Amino acid sequence: MNEDCEATTNDVEQLVKSSQTGDRGAFDQLVRLYQHRAIRLAVGILGDAEEAAEAVQAGFVKAYLGINKLKEPTRFETWLLRIISNAAISQRRTAERRKSRIRTVDCNECGKAVLPADKGIAEELKGAIQKAMSKLSKKEARAISLFGLEDLSQEQAAEIMGCSTEAVRWYVFKARKKLKVLLKEYLE
Amino acid sequence: MNENKEKIDFLLERNTAERMAGVDWAALNTEISARLDQAEKSKTPFIRRQIIFKAAAGIAAAAVVLIAVMVGTNRPAGLQINNGKKAAVEIIDGKGTASIEIKTAAKCDVKIMDLNGGLEKDYNRGTWIIISAPKPVLADNGKEKEAMSIIYLF
Repeated sequence: MNEDCEATTNDVEQLVKSSQTGDRGAFDQLVRLYQHRAIRLAVGILGDAEEAAEAVQAGFVKAYLGINKLKEPTRFETWLLRIISNAAISQRRTAERRKSRIRTVDCNECGKAVLPADKGIAEELKGAIQKAMSKLSKKEARAISLFGLEDLSQEQAAEIMGCSTEAVRWYVFKARKKLKVLLKEYLE
Repeated sequence: MNENKEKIDFLLERNTAERMAGVDWAALNTEISARLDQAEKSKTPFIRRQIIFKAAAGIAAAAVVLIAVMVGTNRPAGLQINNGKKAAVEIIDGKGTASIEIKTAAKCDVKIMDLNGGLEKDYNRGTWIIISAPKPVLADNGKEKEAMSIIYLF
């Protein structure tokens, strides 16, 4: 939830109920409340803010069109984050297809060389993290990104992913293990 | 491993924070709002399409059920009579009686006699179908005419 726009569970429940009756203003408020959290999750999965913004927009549209299907308004957050994470995974596929259409130079051979010199280590690291995230499986990327969200319990993460908490921990473990290898030079 | 775990988490956290720092929240909000407006406009035809689709699916399902019931019923396709005409017969399930109308003999009675009772499952002897007129009719036997009530015996 956006820090600038704190709302109680009751407020959210009321906004969801109003949205379900067709109150567009209420849904706009929900967007403002959750866009920060949604972007954070999508950036975690995609490693890129622009792609994340695209996924978040698609996710909110899907949530708006399907809000009447939500039976328990109190579970809005979990429901929304599941939609956002699915949209991010879908966006990742789109990005992968886009990349495969464009002839690219193998970055294993010249990865750092293609980066402009003035962008520095921070930009290089961002690129490396984005690339490393794309090497994770969908479930690994989703699990480690959900773990990055503050205030999100393991149970909620499991519910969003549709698996057990043990499975979530396992995917996080595997993700970290892969990232350890992929980002080796930045960890030393 | 724990140290690396912390470092990885720190790197991811830093990356997310840095990338989020570049997000134009107002622009994002405007963009989402525009997409929602667009979705709202297409929502009505979408819902209408859904209703039409559901209605069509319901009709199709009802038709399938009706066909299945008709096929599953032991409905005679029509009885062939001597002059090649077909007589429409009411639905009769198994043993029972019904009425039949044959042009040449007016209204007739149909009696079905199930002869399978007491036989083994796979041994079918067949069923007698007796078509008779309620009143004796004058049958044309070629040379002479005689009154008869049983018209057909299958």
